[in-house]
Amino acid sequence: MNTAHIDALDRHEMRDGFVWRPVRRRFGIKAFGVNAYTPGATKQIVEEHTESQLGHEEVYLVLRGRIRFTAGDDEHELSQGQLIFMRDPALKRGAVALTDDAAVLAVGGKPGEAYEISAWETWFAAARFVQAEQWDEVIALHNEALAERPDHAPLLYNLACMEARAGRRDNAIAHLKRSIELEPKWAEHAAKDTDFASISADPDFPAA
Amino acid sequence: MSDGYTIVDLNELEAFPYHQRGGQKLLPIQRITNFRAAGMNGWIGDASEPLVPEHAEDSDNEELYVVVQGRATFTVDGGSFDAPAGTLVHALPGELRSAKSEEPRTIVAAIGATIGRPFDNPGWTSFVVADALRREGRIDEARVAVAEMLALHPDAWHAPYNAACFESLAGDGDAAFAYLRRARAMDPEGVKPFLAEDSDLDPIRDDPHFQELLA
Repeated sequence: MNTAHIDALDRHEMRDGFVWRPVRRRFGIKAFGVNAYTPGATKQIVEEHTESQLGHEEVYLVLRGRIRFTAGDDEHELSQGQLIFMRDPALKRGAVALTDDAAVLAVGGKPGEAYEISAWETWFAAARFVQAEQWDEVIALHNEALAERPDHAPLLYNLACMEARAGRRDNAIAHLKRSIELEPKWAEHAAKDTDFASISADPDFPAA
Repeated sequence: MSDGYTIVDLNELEAFPYHQRGGQKLLPIQRITNFRAAGMNGWIGDASEPLVPEHAEDSDNEELYVVVQGRATFTVDGGSFDAPAGTLVHALPGELRSAKSEEPRTIVAAIGATIGRPFDNPGWTSFVVADALRREGRIDEARVAVAEMLALHPDAWHAPYNAACFESLAGDGDAAFAYLRRARAMDPEGVKPFLAEDSDLDPIRDDPHFQELLA
């Protein structure tokens, strides 16, 4: 058994101003996705996004305070004890806090498939280190995620981006090549990605 | 509201006593939303009431409890601790867990699934709802919940078996026997030990058809 209060979870303030409070990572949960969010510098509490790429169904449960939730073109005020189940992954979603103490728990996964840890958790966890250009920490977080999913092309691609920014040419090219082997679409992304500015003229650079 | 989402207010959702345990009051989130990525339900209780039924989970079944409002005392493997609103409790497989309410209208949400497997709704909440409705005399509504349970697992013998228990207790012997025959056709060895001992079947036990099933 392991227990924590939502206020004791790690705080990762993201660029949009919302604060990611990692729940799944805190407890090492592997059967479903679960995280909490609180407002930070802005009133944003759930970033605007869709789940089209992952195909996830999601539940957002208000644990404290009040929020204004956007679901597609609709807006709803939700307070403690209310939840919104987002059945359609393509539906745009996001929320702003209406009270400073607001807290939301998000639960998600893809119906019909065993849960896989989403790669975005690594981007979120690495964000503060990317901002500070602390590349060792950024790369360590990617390697930790890749230890569980060594052939995850988006993770490999993002690792290559970070390595290129860190000036680690050999590793960046090797990881970019591997991501393209797994999913050729990454070659097109790499050709336009400014993260690769330091190596894009390199004869070994594998982009299209 | 669009077809793409559903809003549920846990303070407005009808709670159903889990009579076959300690009468803990289930908030059937799964049934209302049909969330398919993980199991998700709630429990609501007033001060000093049992909140989460005592149970353990099999290996690889992970559960997270979240105190949504009020205050609870959780007991996990004999150790108790205070859990005010906002507390998250991650219980490991095999750990015996339960909770009781410490304040009026305490609500705990429970989320669970199995590592490495797609979530498969076991349908137990539909049976809890059906049983609670039957005891209140709301038979038509109860049969809707039974039908949901049967639809979830059309190939599993325990679904028609539980439907037979429901109809036995609801007083429809013919329906009970029809379900029992269906369950027995699916898995005679699975059904047999329950037939001999299950008190839910007492209302039809003296019927000659019951002896045919035991044969």
